[in-house]
Amino acid sequence: MTPNPIGSKVEQLAQALAERIVPLIVDAIDIDTLLDKVDVEKIIERVDVEKIIDRVDVEKIIDRVDVQKIIDRVDVQQIIDRVDINAIVDDIDIDALVEHTELGSIIARSTTGVVTEILDVVRAQGVGLDDFILRWGNRLIGRRKRLATWPEGPPLLVGPTVAP
Amino acid sequence: MTTVPVPSAELTVGRQGHYAGAVSRLAAFAADVGASWGAYALGAALINAAVKLVTGHSYTLSNHQVLALISWVVWEFVYFSYQWAVSGKTLGMAVLGLQVVTKQGGPISGRQAVIRTIALGLCLLTLGIAFLGIVFQRERRALNDFLAGTAVVYDWDARAARLRWMARKEGPLRRGPEHTAPAP
Repeated sequence: MTPNPIGSKVEQLAQALAERIVPLIVDAIDIDTLLDKVDVEKIIERVDVEKIIDRVDVEKIIDRVDVQKIIDRVDVQQIIDRVDINAIVDDIDIDALVEHTELGSIIARSTTGVVTEILDVVRAQGVGLDDFILRWGNRLIGRRKRLATWPEGPPLLVGPTVAP
Repeated sequence: MTTVPVPSAELTVGRQGHYAGAVSRLAAFAADVGASWGAYALGAALINAAVKLVTGHSYTLSNHQVLALISWVVWEFVYFSYQWAVSGKTLGMAVLGLQVVTKQGGPISGRQAVIRTIALGLCLLTLGIAFLGIVFQRERRALNDFLAGTAVVYDWDARAARLRWMARKEGPLRRGPEHTAPAP
C-alpha cells in the first residue's frame, strides 16, 4: 500500500506550524505571573505527606544501601588530615566544661589534697599582692604609666617585647 | 553563706613564665630561711648526738661561735647554690611556685647558681636596698640577679590550679540552694 501524499504533507505542515507557534506561545507566557497565581500552600495542604511516608518502605531502602561499601569508599585519613585538631581544642571552653560537667569533680578528686588547696590559695594571693606592691610602688614614684611598657617575662618564656 | 572566690584567669592561667613580684619572692625566701635553719639545727643536733655517742662528751656547736658561724654560712651557701644549680628553685620557691632562670628565660648554670648565692649574701648586707629592683626595675631583678645574669619567674602549674578552683565550685560551698541540705 502506497502512503497518502496529501496526509504526509499536512503532517509536515502541522509540524512546521507547531515548531513556529509553540516558542511564540511560550515566550508570550509570563511564568512569574503564572506562578504568582498558583497557591502553593493550598497544594501542600492537599498533599497527605503522612500517607506518602507510610507508603515508603524505609527498611527496604536501608536494606538496599550497602553501608559497608560507602564506608570503604570514605578516606578517613584524608578527613583526619583536613581536621584542624588545634582549632577544635582552642574552641573548647575548658572552664565551662569543668563547670558544667562531672569532669570538675573528677579532677578535684584526683588532684586536690589539702596541701594543694593551700598552695593554690597562697600562690594566687601572692601573685595578687605582687601586682599590688608593683603598682603602688611605682605609682608612689610617679612611674605608673611606664609599667604598661615593661616586659611580662623573659623573651624565651613569653616572647620578645618591643622596647618603647 | 560565704563562698571561696575563683581567682581570675589573669592571676592564674596567664602568669606562667612572667617575672615574679616582691611578695612571692619574699615569702619564698622566708620559707627557705626557716627550712635551712630547721635543717641546720637538726644537723647540729645529730652531730652532737654522734659525738656524744662516740666520745661520751657532749659537744654543742653554739659554744664555738666562730665555728658555728662558719658552718652556718657554708650550710646556707650549699642550701641555696645546690638547689638553684640542680633545679633552679629552692624548697621555698617550689612552694611559692617560683623559678630562677637566665635573663633570657633558660635554665641557669651551676656557675650562675654559685654567683647568685654569694651575691644574695652581699645583698642582705645592704639591708634590703639591693632588692628594690624587684619592685622598681623593669625586669623585676634584684642586685644578685644582675650579678648572676638571672631573673625569677612564676613557674607553678597555673592552669591546673585554676581547673582545681573551678572544680571546687561543685563542692558544698559553691552549690546552689537546691543542692543544700535542709536545715535540721
